[in-house]
Amino acid sequence: MNNTLLELKNISYKYENNLILNKVNLKINSGEKIALLGKSGSGKTTLISVLNGTIKPTQGEVKIFNKSFEELDRTQKRKITTIWQDLRLIEDLSAEQNVNCGLLAENNFYFAFKNLLNISSFKKAHKYMQLCRLHNSIYDKKIRKLSGGQKQRVAIARSLIQGSNILLADEPFNNLDPKLVKIIKNLLLENLDKNNTKKSPKTTLVALHRLDLLNEFDKVIGIRDGKIFFNIKSTNLNKLHLDKIY
Amino acid sequence: MNKLKLNYTSLSFLPFLVCIPLGYQLITNLHFGGFKLFQEFLISAFNPKVDNEIIITVINRLNETILIGFFSWLVSITFGAIFGILSSNIFYKIFNIPNFLYSIIRFFLTIIRSIHEVVWGILLMQIYGINFSIGIIAICIPYIAVNSKVFAEQLETIEYKSFESINQINAPKSSSLLTLIWNPIINTFKNFGLYRLECSIRSTVILGLFGIGGIGTSIFLSFQTLNFRELWTYLWSLAILIILSGLIFKKIKFNNINKTLSIFFIAVFFITILFSFSYFLYFMFNNNFKNFYSVSSLFKSSSDLGLFDFLKLILETIILSLLSTGIAISLPPLVIGNFNNNTSKIFIRIFAFLLRLIPTPVILLSLLTFNNPSLSLAALTLGLHNAGITSKLLFSNLDSQDKRNYIAMKSLGISKKTCWLLGLFSQQAKSYLAYCAYRSDIIIRETAIVGVIGSVGLGWQLQESLSSFAWQEVTIVLIAYSSIAIVGELINGKIKNSLT
Repeated sequence: MNNTLLELKNISYKYENNLILNKVNLKINSGEKIALLGKSGSGKTTLISVLNGTIKPTQGEVKIFNKSFEELDRTQKRKITTIWQDLRLIEDLSAEQNVNCGLLAENNFYFAFKNLLNISSFKKAHKYMQLCRLHNSIYDKKIRKLSGGQKQRVAIARSLIQGSNILLADEPFNNLDPKLVKIIKNLLLENLDKNNTKKSPKTTLVALHRLDLLNEFDKVIGIRDGKIFFNIKSTNLNKLHLDKIY
Repeated sequence: MNKLKLNYTSLSFLPFLVCIPLGYQLITNLHFGGFKLFQEFLISAFNPKVDNEIIITVINRLNETILIGFFSWLVSITFGAIFGILSSNIFYKIFNIPNFLYSIIRFFLTIIRSIHEVVWGILLMQIYGINFSIGIIAICIPYIAVNSKVFAEQLETIEYKSFESINQINAPKSSSLLTLIWNPIINTFKNFGLYRLECSIRSTVILGLFGIGGIGTSIFLSFQTLNFRELWTYLWSLAILIILSGLIFKKIKFNNINKTLSIFFIAVFFITILFSFSYFLYFMFNNNFKNFYSVSSLFKSSSDLGLFDFLKLILETIILSLLSTGIAISLPPLVIGNFNNNTSKIFIRIFAFLLRLIPTPVILLSLLTFNNPSLSLAALTLGLHNAGITSKLLFSNLDSQDKRNYIAMKSLGISKKTCWLLGLFSQQAKSYLAYCAYRSDIIIRETAIVGVIGSVGLGWQLQESLSSFAWQEVTIVLIAYSSIAIVGELINGKIKNSLT
């Protein structure tokens, strides 16, 4: 059975005459946990942006659930969630309002309206914020008043609350202390359902620099100058592979 | 010899050179025929008329002014927000609407904004006659466009990345739009809303001078009958209203808008939209459009306005704007810097307040008592009125500025004026010039007011053409007036961008 969720065929992306992605081919199967390694500026963020449809490649084909991005309906698009490297939270909204934004897709306009007026239910948002070890004293604080680590976890909570099948995370462990890294890593890789119990496998692609976390992933992809240098099982990764990309 | 280098500080004083031609023309136009009247005008300021009758009139007129001002503000801020959304990039990005619509709406709003509310007022009065609602409509038309520009500018500050992240959640488009625009809209209302109410009240007073009603009409009538004591009663009561409203607005803080208040504001927002539409329909079906039909003769009528005369009027309007802007920029730092002690500062503040308070037509009429009508006199009037506004800004910026440089220079025994210039003003000069660039946009539009009274420029021609129902001339004048304002706005926008 073909269980490929995401597929990139010969993808290239050019920006201001710089080739950011160069003929990338990649298949991501359902339930896979993939680590994406590479130096800063190697094309990791662009690759994630191509996968979530925010960047259209200059050349090549992107298939999600065997369809092009334009062919996906809203329900299918909702199955992909992203944790951005620069978080992209709404600064003027409170932490809980930002997390609730993750529920906008499954609710109507009235919910968005209530969320802005602070009269919607924050029960679900609070649950995910607790999972991300956010203290309840910051729930109603504006994003601009939070520390880097707190903002990072709000962005993670917003992403997790969407309950999507595919999680794309761009350096989600930035600004986190070692204890929190462990907790967040478990949250991202051990997918939880509403009752905090394990759910069917979730597909995860995480761009990161933390080599100590690699054994938690099924596969490791190495990228350099917009080209994929290796796509191997994490157990097969050795120093030679890393030398190629760093 | 070293090359002359101009910095922001010297650029703030340089426009004072406009006073050379201006002063020359004013001196040659001097007459003493109405000197006694001017003296009487000044003395009456300290002896306003106070009796039961006039107090009742003042209260009634102020009520009218507040009502017109408030309703104009409510409608213009509500529709300003709506058009602000419609003329912002974010709306078109979310709904995937072609961008040319955005350009069309922006262009349309720029044209509307370029014509001063007084011009709209005179135009509408000529078509529909004088009534209460004309005042509201005349203020609303340009104010909606001005407010929409401010709202749109705030919405443009939404980061593209925030848009991408909300868009990526794949929520209904209306939910995404609301989530992204909510805070910029609320913040604009918090920071800008009450200031616009003050502007609205001031505009009502100016329109009153042209017969719309309210305290402005009483001011004009008492000036016309040379009843200066009564005039000053109205002016002082207007001063009290402005000071009181300023104090109240300072107290009102929207930092903690609770849920009930939010729901109340939203209810007011929708009621205003509903009311405006129903009133518009009522207005359309219950008005005599006889005069309006004469507008249709626009394409048939021929204009008596010669090309040379027309170009002369355009040139006059441009020169009037430049001279007034020169005075508005250079006068405040020159006066504040030269009279830099506490007692003088109090007098300058009072004088600046009076210049802001007294409507430009009244300043112009009082100056006409000892000077013949001329372009210079109109420029002086407009320049002085706007200098009152720029000096308020300069004072408040200087007050809040770090004074360590000033103190350090003073301790070196440097003269007070030099310390002020280099230790205080030099740090403000750049932002002061940027504000003046914005102010000169308004000056261009205000040329219409002094033009009507002072017999100069396109403002005067507009009044003349309207009086004779020469609609083709009216259209030509409006197009020329609007074009000058739009070009001015573009140039000032470039200057402002280079300064900020």
